[in-house]
Amino acid sequence: MSGSLSLLDITWWVTTAAELVLLAVLVWRKALRSYPFFTCYVISILLQSAGMSFLYRQANLNATMVWNIAWGTQAAITIMRSLVLVELTRKIFARYTGIWTLARRSILCVGLCVIVYALAFSRGHSQWVILNMIRGLELALAAVIVAILLFARYYRLPIPSVPRALAMGLCLYSVFYVIDYSLLERGFKGHAELWNFLGLLTFLASLLLWTAAFILHPVQEEETQATSVSPDAYGKLSAAVNLRLYLLNQQLNRIVNSGERRP
Amino acid sequence: MTHLIVMVFFLAIAFVLIGLLLWATRPPKRIPYPVQDIFELLSQQRHCMRLPFIQHALQPQDTAFLEESGKKALMREIRADRRRIALHYLDQLQQEFETLLEISRAMAVMAPEIAAVEEIERWKLSLVFAMNCAFQRWRLRLGLRPVSGFASISTMATGLVRHLESATASIAENALGG
Repeated sequence: MSGSLSLLDITWWVTTAAELVLLAVLVWRKALRSYPFFTCYVISILLQSAGMSFLYRQANLNATMVWNIAWGTQAAITIMRSLVLVELTRKIFARYTGIWTLARRSILCVGLCVIVYALAFSRGHSQWVILNMIRGLELALAAVIVAILLFARYYRLPIPSVPRALAMGLCLYSVFYVIDYSLLERGFKGHAELWNFLGLLTFLASLLLWTAAFILHPVQEEETQATSVSPDAYGKLSAAVNLRLYLLNQQLNRIVNSGERRP
Repeated sequence: MTHLIVMVFFLAIAFVLIGLLLWATRPPKRIPYPVQDIFELLSQQRHCMRLPFIQHALQPQDTAFLEESGKKALMREIRADRRRIALHYLDQLQQEFETLLEISRAMAVMAPEIAAVEEIERWKLSLVFAMNCAFQRWRLRLGLRPVSGFASISTMATGLVRHLESATASIAENALGG
């Protein structure tokens, strides 16, 4: 047990160090302007780590109170993660107003459906209410990220490397949170340390993914990439496509009609 | 037991999401079409123009006279050959439909606005087309007549063209307006 606890402690310190490194990279890359919510999210997880470390070292504090504070701050962090997701969605779809009009409805619908589903399955566990809510929200976050990536893939939209890495990291963490929590709640209550360890490892992997993305890929360059054609070329293309489609449509109609008349 | 089912549900969704995430982050098979490629694709010959010949060749009446004249084996051989050709035709038709979808995606990326209802309609259309194509392929392999299905596939292609036409009209209006 003591071995497992010390391993947990080491992982916790490594994770905190990785958070600090990520924050330093964000400052170095001047990412605050491009990714304000993500920078705030990293600051908030650092503050949470520091706060929790302080609280857990106070011997005179009530354990239930510390538990409630810990999971209350986790709820706040999850809300921060949702804001990061909004930021990511804007980065991926901002240049494609037409697709964004469609995507936002579908993504909202996916998110709401998953939250309703998760909450419906979480009834009757009042002592785990915050955790259940967080699990529902994490599942919705993961589903929304996957929906965004599927949308982008369907329309062959180029996703810059940094938003892609952020989306993958957020999604993997959310999904593993759901897996960890589901196992903890139902069958592995006696293995809370193991659950914490696995959760930390997943988060550490996400932190490393994000740090590597911000180090390897310049933030500003990705934002200035143009994807649209000039209005003049666009007008010509549209007219030509219209004409060809009209002719194709006429041909198809003729074929279908002649086929119907055939004895 | 209920607890176990709930756990399995959550875990199943989580694993499905991981699978979809991995699939969605793979590099795309094809790059988006540049403008000149769209022109070229639209000028290519269309397979749906051959639909009446395929429909005619699959009519049992077209080869029934061989049975009447005692050449049953030849009739079977000819029908099998025609089914093979029809299967190949289906492949080509599906490829053509996918090209149309590619073009419409490329248009959607450049479009300032898309009517959501039209786009959802196109998704449904492509799903039904894919299912119908697979169904017709199996009918042909089993030696059944796919004629009515062929007509509905053609209708779907016409439907997609109509959607594309309406989308391009709106895009052209916006381009001229801008």
